[in-house]
Amino acid sequence: MGKYLIKRLLHGLLSIIVVVALVMVMIYSMLDRNLVFASDSVYQHQGSNSKVTYMYSKWEEYGYLDYVTYADYINELARSGEIDDQTREQAVMLGRTPKDDSEQTSEYVQRFVQHYESQGYTVRRLNAVVRAGGRLADGGQQALFAHRDLPLFQRLWKYFTGLFQVDSIHYVPEEQDIGARGLTFTLFDPAYGGTVFSPAIIGNGTQHKYLLYFDSQFPFLHQNILTIQLGTSYSVNTGIDVFDTMTLSQGSYMQSTITYPSGHTELSADDLHTATYVYGSRASSPLLADRFHDDYTNVSTIRSGMSKLGYSFVIGVISVIMAYVLGLPIGILMARKKDKLIDKLGTVYIIFIIAVPSLAYIFLFKAIGGSLFGLPTTFNMESSNKLMYVLPIVSLALPSMANLMKWMRRYMIDQSNSDYVKFARSGGLSEGEIFTRHIMKNAAIPIVHGIPSSVLFSLTGAIITERVYVVPGAGNLLTEAINRYDNGVIIGVTLFYAVLSVVAIILGDVLIATVDPRISFSTKDR
Amino acid sequence: MSKDLEKFGLSNEELFSFVSHSDVESEKITAPRYSYWHSVFRVFFRNKLNIVILSVLVLLVAFAYIYPTVVHYNPFANLMDPAAKHLSPSRAIEYFGASIHSILGTGAAGEPTFDAIWNGARISISLAFICAAINITIGVIVGSIWGFSKKVDVVMMEVYNILGNIPYILFISVMVMLFTASFWTIVLALTITGWLAIAYFIRTQVVIIRDREYNLASRCLGTSTIKIAMKNILPFMTSIIVTLLATEIPSYISYEVFLSYIGMGLSDMSLGRLIFAAESAMVTPGWEFEFWSPVAIASIITIVLYVVGQNLGDASDPRTHM
Repeated sequence: MGKYLIKRLLHGLLSIIVVVALVMVMIYSMLDRNLVFASDSVYQHQGSNSKVTYMYSKWEEYGYLDYVTYADYINELARSGEIDDQTREQAVMLGRTPKDDSEQTSEYVQRFVQHYESQGYTVRRLNAVVRAGGRLADGGQQALFAHRDLPLFQRLWKYFTGLFQVDSIHYVPEEQDIGARGLTFTLFDPAYGGTVFSPAIIGNGTQHKYLLYFDSQFPFLHQNILTIQLGTSYSVNTGIDVFDTMTLSQGSYMQSTITYPSGHTELSADDLHTATYVYGSRASSPLLADRFHDDYTNVSTIRSGMSKLGYSFVIGVISVIMAYVLGLPIGILMARKKDKLIDKLGTVYIIFIIAVPSLAYIFLFKAIGGSLFGLPTTFNMESSNKLMYVLPIVSLALPSMANLMKWMRRYMIDQSNSDYVKFARSGGLSEGEIFTRHIMKNAAIPIVHGIPSSVLFSLTGAIITERVYVVPGAGNLLTEAINRYDNGVIIGVTLFYAVLSVVAIILGDVLIATVDPRISFSTKDR
Repeated sequence: MSKDLEKFGLSNEELFSFVSHSDVESEKITAPRYSYWHSVFRVFFRNKLNIVILSVLVLLVAFAYIYPTVVHYNPFANLMDPAAKHLSPSRAIEYFGASIHSILGTGAAGEPTFDAIWNGARISISLAFICAAINITIGVIVGSIWGFSKKVDVVMMEVYNILGNIPYILFISVMVMLFTASFWTIVLALTITGWLAIAYFIRTQVVIIRDREYNLASRCLGTSTIKIAMKNILPFMTSIIVTLLATEIPSYISYEVFLSYIGMGLSDMSLGRLIFAAESAMVTPGWEFEFWSPVAIASIITIVLYVVGQNLGDASDPRTHM
């Protein structure tokens, strides 16, 4: 069993990598890059050469290509000590056209061109756009840069190696003096004032200050040692990783009295446990210097709502439970009373759900729930009214309930015609006994297979339901990312979905193997 | 006892008697002639409800195709007339006079809702039929090869696992961005991987029947694989394929509505686009008709298609032909 599972897992991993590669090909090479600028107001105000350089710098930010300007190159040379400051200042001055370059500049331009063309870059030089009278046109500054599309394998490698980041005490560059690097274990967490018993591991030199700590929120023990980076968002949630976009809490700030490391006390929503290192932040901000005594100053805030995943999962899981609790008994009842009234009513309901567009019945549920039952039809994070969960949950549960009813009824009827049922009947068992002891056990096996996937996929959220009821869930993340050309988010979300589906199928197989002793995955048992 | 025998012209000694031989009688085949499709339609039309639903379907489809060609529909005809916008049916009849155009009121651009929904229905139904035809054809062909050949099975399972994990809306949005959001782009987007699920379903069915005893016997007797596929398996699959069609066609209409709603659908005013465009009208008093009419028409079309298809699928199962 174990060997088989590992094989399946590796196989799944391989197909996940192929999926990510295909999606990368789709979004980075098949789509028109110029669409990024469709609604970019900055782009529209740029003229001539600066428009071109703006385009390339944006494309680099969106992850399409590698873009190096001549000035970057010269500054890099100066930083590595290859040239001195004076040479740098002279070399960086480009002439309006190649002919106008000074001798020193043209030497370095040549080196720049050679250096990057040998690496497969395309070098472009834009001559200054001059208006009559010798003045530069708007945005007509001369430019020299090299660009190269990232090859697929390099992109894949970069993505998958950057997926998991383990924090270490060598995170902060060695040349930055931050005192003795190392980990300290304390029984009294300083974030609580250092008097309350609360074990924590604190690092110096690491990215996160708190590597392991307890707090009052589920699951109480938290870690910052291993972070997952699915891809940085560019336009949906600028600069934030997709994983954080999905898991960080939303809503209004939860303020409480916070004692900062310096002893400063203030009403604030800062979560000191999330502190990360930002070089020189205390020196540049007197506000931070007042509160912190080291450069671990970048903290996130505590908010009242749940995360995107949280909302989707709560609504999804409750609706899954509701669908199974209601759908299975009704399906069984329909099978037992085949062709009776309840079976016909159930069939009408199933047809309604299958045939009517999902959008239509969700709106119908919304209209009915809102006007007849007076339930809130829009979601509000700030409200503590639990009734607002009712309509999204019901809208999600009713369709999946119809599906479960359909299959449960089908499997039960199929089983009730089989030989072992006839045998049991001829042995004198009552119909009730046959149904509960014999048929149900066998009919439930294919149903059990779907449980892990329905639970796991409630994490992804439901696009329409969340949109209709304005639930701040994860369902709309992918469509939003596609509409805004946020490539990082698209890849991150795709990877997330693919992992879920691989895990769900394997879990489903494990579950039916434990439920049904006849099913075995190891070749030895067969 | 003896009296009875005399009545039949039989003697008491001999209970058996000769029957005269007739060449004409012996040529007659005793079993009634069985025609598959004839029986399918006989079973289908035996249920009166099916006749009603089928005529509703024919009426709907005919109306959706004929009405927009007869009536010239210009959605922007009343664009400049602010008084013509968002009218309820009664107000529209007051404003435009009593005509078939105004019985469902008007929409956001002053267009008659009645004309708009039939125009949209035509686009949506065409889309559903074309997508279903393409996907079912490719799906059935690929699925049967996939089910028969073990080598193809290994390759196709990988393809299925990989393509199945790429979010569907990603494919569609890439298609829409590559080309324009025209009718044929959406057809391409819905069919480029849409056949895969159908092929997988057919593959499973083929695998189930492939190794049944009668096929094994057939193979032992030297029947070629193609003949087994055509004569032994395809007839078995007919009812499965018809049932599949019954779920597929309405699902494309639903899917088109869904795509339009998330802003990735057609640029034409299909039913989905109408629903998307009129979403805000749902909660505005007096505007409800422009939202609920396309929803209702889409629902009616899909339900009727589904019920007709399901019952035709039942009727095409030879076991119901008794």
